[in-house]
Amino acid sequence: MKLFENRKRAVRPLKSKSEKSAEYTKAGDIPLLICVFLMACFGCIMIYSASSYAAEVQYGDKLYFVKKQLIGVALGTAAMIGMCFVPYKKLMKFKYPAIIIAAILLVLVFVPVIGITNYGATRWIGFGAFTLQPSEIAKYAYALFVAAYFAKNHEKVKTVKGVLPVLGVGLLFCVLIIIEPNMSITMCVGLLMLGLIFLSGTKLKTFLIILIPFAVAIPVLIILEPYRLKRLSAFIDPWASPKGEGYQLIQSLYALGNGGLFGTGLFKSTQKYRFLPFAESDFIMAIMGEELGFLGLIVFFLFCGFIIYRGFKIARRCKDRFGFLLASGFTMVYGIQVVINALVVSGAIPPTGLPLPLISSGNTSLIITMASMGVLFNVSRQD
Amino acid sequence: MSVGLAIAFIFCLIFARLFYVQIVWGKELVYKATDQWNREIPVIAARGVISDRNGEILAGNKTTYSVFLRPNAIENDEYASTVLGGLFSVDPAEILKKIRAGKVSEVTVARQVSKESIEKLVSYDIAGVYYSRDNTRQYTYNDALCQVLGFTSNDGLGLSGIEKFYNNMLSGTNGEICYSTDIVGVETENSVVIYSEAKAGDEIRLTIDIDIQLSVEEAMRSVYQSSNAKSVSCIVLDPQNFDILALSNYPSYNLNEVPRDDKDTLNALSRNSVVCDIYEPGSTFKVVTAAADIEEYLRGNSGAFSNTHIFNGSRTRTVDGTKIKCWSDHSNGKHSNQTLADALNNSCNPCFTDIALSLGKQTFYDYLTSFGFGNVTGLDFNGEALGMLVPQSLVRDCDLARIGFGQTVAVTGIQLACATAAAVNGGKYYTPHLLKSVVMVDGKTEEYRPVVKYNPISEKASSMLASMLEGVVKEGSGKKAYIEGYKVGGKTGTAQKYEDGHIASGKYVSSFVGFFPADKPQYLALIIVNEPEGTYYGSAVAAPVAKDIFEDIIRIKNLQPCE
Repeated sequence: MKLFENRKRAVRPLKSKSEKSAEYTKAGDIPLLICVFLMACFGCIMIYSASSYAAEVQYGDKLYFVKKQLIGVALGTAAMIGMCFVPYKKLMKFKYPAIIIAAILLVLVFVPVIGITNYGATRWIGFGAFTLQPSEIAKYAYALFVAAYFAKNHEKVKTVKGVLPVLGVGLLFCVLIIIEPNMSITMCVGLLMLGLIFLSGTKLKTFLIILIPFAVAIPVLIILEPYRLKRLSAFIDPWASPKGEGYQLIQSLYALGNGGLFGTGLFKSTQKYRFLPFAESDFIMAIMGEELGFLGLIVFFLFCGFIIYRGFKIARRCKDRFGFLLASGFTMVYGIQVVINALVVSGAIPPTGLPLPLISSGNTSLIITMASMGVLFNVSRQD
Repeated sequence: MSVGLAIAFIFCLIFARLFYVQIVWGKELVYKATDQWNREIPVIAARGVISDRNGEILAGNKTTYSVFLRPNAIENDEYASTVLGGLFSVDPAEILKKIRAGKVSEVTVARQVSKESIEKLVSYDIAGVYYSRDNTRQYTYNDALCQVLGFTSNDGLGLSGIEKFYNNMLSGTNGEICYSTDIVGVETENSVVIYSEAKAGDEIRLTIDIDIQLSVEEAMRSVYQSSNAKSVSCIVLDPQNFDILALSNYPSYNLNEVPRDDKDTLNALSRNSVVCDIYEPGSTFKVVTAAADIEEYLRGNSGAFSNTHIFNGSRTRTVDGTKIKCWSDHSNGKHSNQTLADALNNSCNPCFTDIALSLGKQTFYDYLTSFGFGNVTGLDFNGEALGMLVPQSLVRDCDLARIGFGQTVAVTGIQLACATAAAVNGGKYYTPHLLKSVVMVDGKTEEYRPVVKYNPISEKASSMLASMLEGVVKEGSGKKAYIEGYKVGGKTGTAQKYEDGHIASGKYVSSFVGFFPADKPQYLALIIVNEPEGTYYGSAVAAPVAKDIFEDIIRIKNLQPCE
């Protein structure tokens, strides 16, 4: 309940603090940008460690994934810096174009020539050598849309009817993403939707009514696709099918277990010798845990915590509703992914394919995450 | 603030989970994972050689190699299968099929291939193909001593004979090359190779004298052919310590070409009959009866007969209402006025019936037991038979009467040879053995020490019996084993065979147990000819074989005649 009350307070511009935050408006949150950039660089190092052996075997080039990621870091940094200078209020105008473009991209995934299928899921669209994962964009487009919508219609927030457009767009995205299929980003969008509705200052009753369909949806989704049920049972006892459904989780646990307290040392992973699938992408945290140990992961999470903390701090200090919701939304997108990824890799929830933002190999996610951090910075600069 | 707390709480959950996985559960996870991280290549220990008493190698090793491949690590499967097929005469299509089946992580391509072909293989340098050393047993004398030596499996595990009995000492301890690999078995760039050395097996030195063995083999082959027998066997042992000097069963098989595919033939040919099968000994058993009588007489048993006692000359005895006959018809004064020595010379059955009955169940059975009957001799060999001796509590007089001359009793060749040796060597029954010494890798030798197991008769009784048996060869039924100047003693035996409880007409076991020199026996030989055709008396079939063998021994050992 404390959280709930606090939320109400946070919604209203905090006039008493506005004078103090005036000194931030000029400089902006530089430490956040530095932290994000260092994270992206650290990601390249970890990708090299996790993928160099497999890349050599598969592509004959140790640096195959690192090269791709470096392009991503360059583009991401450019996007981040670019967004620093775009007044975030202008983004409000893009609320419809953003969700329309995102929806189109999500649909394009299913167009045969453009859509790319990997590991049984159609999640990417390709333009020649460049591939794009629309669901990564959709998360941010949705956060933008919700922030803009609630900023304009903040009275409607109190009723279920008023929240319906937000729910409608959210559900449309969820459906488009889940049929790719991509359970984890669907979850991500779902949680983001709930988080934003909650932060927008809705009534508790309204919020609870909205929660019910979600509680129903999860078991239904699991039953609809038998592979999810298999994954769920593999999660409970991975050693029941060590070569099948349980394999991914077992390998992830082996990596973490091998790391112990202090880790095997950078570049000294054993699990990277092709034992752990997706070592450079969704399961890179397992390799980090193996090489840097439990302590290394703690330090890493402190940095993640720093980004989340700064993100919410920027949101709280923002005087207008749109900036508050936009900064909260982008921070949530980042935070939710970090948390879900950590829970998956450590076997606390069933395995789903979700990148660790800023670290995992994959340019769409990297560039857009960095760009969103640029937006956060811009929010921090303006009053 | 509350949002901050909520976030901190979620991160604490993650930390707790990671702490559990990495710190609490970590060791167990690493233990489980070790299996997938490492591969082992066995380093086969050199199998210990088997040699004769003079160190002559009977079973040695030829260094060969096994070739195998890891389908996942093969880069060009067609090329690999073509090359391997050509080098090791395996069907390339078969190899290709195995590579592509992809079910197992390792496929054995060929075993026991030569060093030359491995050198060729190395020159091709095919990724994913490996080889390791293994041993191929090489038996110097092919057939000789085959049932005793036995053979090994393709993996070098002793399956029969000495190879099996002393397998633990012979096999040594295999080593291992352990290295870390990636998921498909490709060695990783920073692999730590752990090499644990193989420890070679010990050398087993047998009591066998290969020169005598070869002579026996030759004699066996010759009598097998000349008599058209079903099978022939021979044991030569040293009566002074029961060292087995030679042991042969014929027909035999070539140890270097074991007929592994024909199980029945292999089982029949690899059976050490003279140790593992029993037969009714017939008259050779009279040595034991005579020994018991002499010892009992010397001890003052009034039931025993003196050396000068004249046995009843009748051809028959009636015991328990059954009539027991001598093999001879006793006409024209044959088998009349016989002393014990004469009875041995003539092999007269009724006299030994008299001794067995006169000594009585208790006394006679005591001697049977102390001469090792009814029990295994304790030879270091698997599957030794017990023999068949009617339990003392069940034995009737008519049985006892027949046991006296070697019927209604079944023995193994080794039992009879040992009993005879104990009867003539001064009365000591040792545990017979094939192991003379173990020579360890570091050169240390552990000698086997003969153990006296029983002491059935006194030295005096023994020497009296030995000279009577010398008489049997000099002027009795064993004449065909006589060698001028070498004091050969012995006893013949001819027993009818039983099939399904009835006497099988025309089927005999002809045997002869002989030794020399009679005053201090150094060599004792038992020859068993199973179902000879035509002449079937032990005196005619088996005694000459003993003579041949003894003459060979005299030549081999350059023994001088007695004064």
